[in-house]
Amino acid sequence: MTIVMAAIILFGLTLIFATLLGVAKEILRVDEDPRIEQINEVLPSANCGGCGFAGCADFAKAVVEGKAPCDGCPVGGAETAADVAAILGIEVVQTAPFRPIVHCGAKTQDKLGVVPYEGIETCVGANIVGVTQACAYGCLGYSDCVRACTFDALHMVEGRPVVDYDKCTGCGACVKACPRDLIELIPFKEERMLVVACANKESAKAVKAVCKVGCIGCKLCQRFAPDVFEVPGNIADINYEKYTGEETEEVKKVLDKCPAEILLYFGRPKLKHAEQLAAEKAATSRN
Amino acid sequence: MITALRERMSGLKSFQRGIHPPHRKKYSESVPIELFTPESNLLIPMSQHIGPPCKPTIKPREEVTYGQKIAEIDHPISAPIHATLAGKTAMIAVTLLPGPGGRRCDAVPIKLASDGEALPPDFLAQFLDRNWDSVEPTSYDPEEIIQKIRAGGLVGMGGATFPTYFKLKRNPDQPVDTIVLNGAECEPYLTADHRLMLECPEGIVCGLMLAKHAAGAQRAIIAIEENKPDAIEAMKKAAQGRPDVEVMVCAAKYPMGGERQLIPAVLKRVVPSAPKGLPLNVGVVVVNVSTAHGIARAVVKDLPFTHRVVTVTGLGVKKPGNFLTPIGTSFKELIETCAGGVTDQALKVLAGGPMMGPTVPSLDVPVTKGVGGITVMIDAETMHREEQPCIRCGRCIDNCPLYLSPTKIAHAVKHGDYDLANQYDMQACCECGCCAFVCPAQIPLAHYIRAGKNEWNHIQVQRKAANK
Repeated sequence: MTIVMAAIILFGLTLIFATLLGVAKEILRVDEDPRIEQINEVLPSANCGGCGFAGCADFAKAVVEGKAPCDGCPVGGAETAADVAAILGIEVVQTAPFRPIVHCGAKTQDKLGVVPYEGIETCVGANIVGVTQACAYGCLGYSDCVRACTFDALHMVEGRPVVDYDKCTGCGACVKACPRDLIELIPFKEERMLVVACANKESAKAVKAVCKVGCIGCKLCQRFAPDVFEVPGNIADINYEKYTGEETEEVKKVLDKCPAEILLYFGRPKLKHAEQLAAEKAATSRN
Repeated sequence: MITALRERMSGLKSFQRGIHPPHRKKYSESVPIELFTPESNLLIPMSQHIGPPCKPTIKPREEVTYGQKIAEIDHPISAPIHATLAGKTAMIAVTLLPGPGGRRCDAVPIKLASDGEALPPDFLAQFLDRNWDSVEPTSYDPEEIIQKIRAGGLVGMGGATFPTYFKLKRNPDQPVDTIVLNGAECEPYLTADHRLMLECPEGIVCGLMLAKHAAGAQRAIIAIEENKPDAIEAMKKAAQGRPDVEVMVCAAKYPMGGERQLIPAVLKRVVPSAPKGLPLNVGVVVVNVSTAHGIARAVVKDLPFTHRVVTVTGLGVKKPGNFLTPIGTSFKELIETCAGGVTDQALKVLAGGPMMGPTVPSLDVPVTKGVGGITVMIDAETMHREEQPCIRCGRCIDNCPLYLSPTKIAHAVKHGDYDLANQYDMQACCECGCCAFVCPAQIPLAHYIRAGKNEWNHIQVQRKAANK
């Protein structure tokens, strides 16, 4: 008899609580946009903060609320942007991915006036001493950007940082880490882009005194290819809005004539470029 | 411990915490001031004070006379710059400054006039002229004193290079009741202020009285460290007959010469922490010995600030000494001509003393208004060993004269967390280097904090640019 009573009481309680829960579910329901969850699923989940938000979930919420553009994830690139746009039901305009380039191409042996430095071995520490090398603008070579990179896409090669564009996602952590503002994100319209690898704003004489390869501001590039190059002060600048990455005759001529060795190609070489590079390498090694 | 006890017992003026580095002033403290006139060109930097750099008011290839104004800027925090020797100017060049950070600025080169004409005759005798007793400070109008100090281009010569006139200007909201003459010279090696106190104490006292009158203070205090007994004697003698001036003897402790340490030591007043708190908030103005001497010269004789006493010392130079040097002389010429050149073991050259002085990158940097000494050190004098992990002994905290936690700030900076570093009051640090001096793990704490402050400013600039 007791066992029957217990069963009845429990059954009754279950009914009461089930009804309560059912009612509560209806009354206390919070509507969350299902798209947030969907977008969160297509995002790369790197949580790198490259988009400017606290993480991927935060970014997904911001996209749905219209606070962030659907191609705002630098890690996912065009594919993710397309997926996000499909979920939101809008169309995304294809944009070139932004990737970092370094405005200093001086190798260890190119830098002049290097003095022994005994302080903290970071760029931030060396920068306040300011005099570990003669050039006050160039790369200090103490790897702050390499440490900042969470994708292992930056490495120190011959005293300057070299970006591994296969691994790089364009999150911009290295840009923030550099105390001399040498790293910049530019649109990679082609697989490889031309870059002015110098940041020294001083006159030719002062540049020559501190670096073997620095830009002397001779304005030769501006003369040969005025569409691509500008020389506002003592240093050349490439207009990335106009420059498409195309290797035109003018650009080739500039590359040939430039007296400094600061116009460098950054990025992954295309197949034809790779062949060309290999041929050049073979030629130099034979000499 | 014993030193600290002795300081307590003997009634010397002192502050809490701080360190006792070796003085090493014996190399140059007994060498009288000599006049140095360079033979090669001068290079006068346009940025020798805190605030925006000056703009040249003269043209290239123009004849300039001694003391002629060559640059100025219309800004409250600035000081005009004068030709320190007569000659002919050349095209504006860029020069490296001896201060930290390897800063560069424009500079006016001056090709010197032929011998004997570059300077007024008997310049040294006139600079160290001891006949100041006839000067009656109250006969000058305070506003007139301020104007003359400003026109004379005077800045704080202890190293901060803050325009002096701005400090002394009367401000009705914050009246000044005491003016403190900073003769502590706590930095090891340096003896420039010490020599000046010995050789021209009357001029310094006169300058102090003028500054006191200009600022409207009732009391003047001369603070000197106990390791300079001869200077204490000389200053006491010079201050005789001047009412309201008191000579106070301070303990020989580093950083006694810092404003935030000197004021608690002599007046028992606590200055609010930097960067917002100033000695002015507690009614005090601190003036350096060399600055006071400059004030007397600028106000009474209308002479601009063109020369300063520079100590060239350390085991790395052959003949250490104190030299009256025109602003703009290159370090190289000063060291080679006056101090007999560097010895074979010379390792590094510092602009200033070993505690706060930055290493100079090349000897071509010019002497500026803030450079009180050049220290050439040999390997045995420097202390550099590998950085070890922090053992949490707390010595840096025990010795920080500003009651900060250097190890906490340094760790935050090391991991790039500048917001956390600011919560530990990174901006209040005066970079005196006591923490790094006492650290048994050889951690360059002061360097970390300095780097952190610099990087924080850089981040602020980046954020501002991003918000635009």
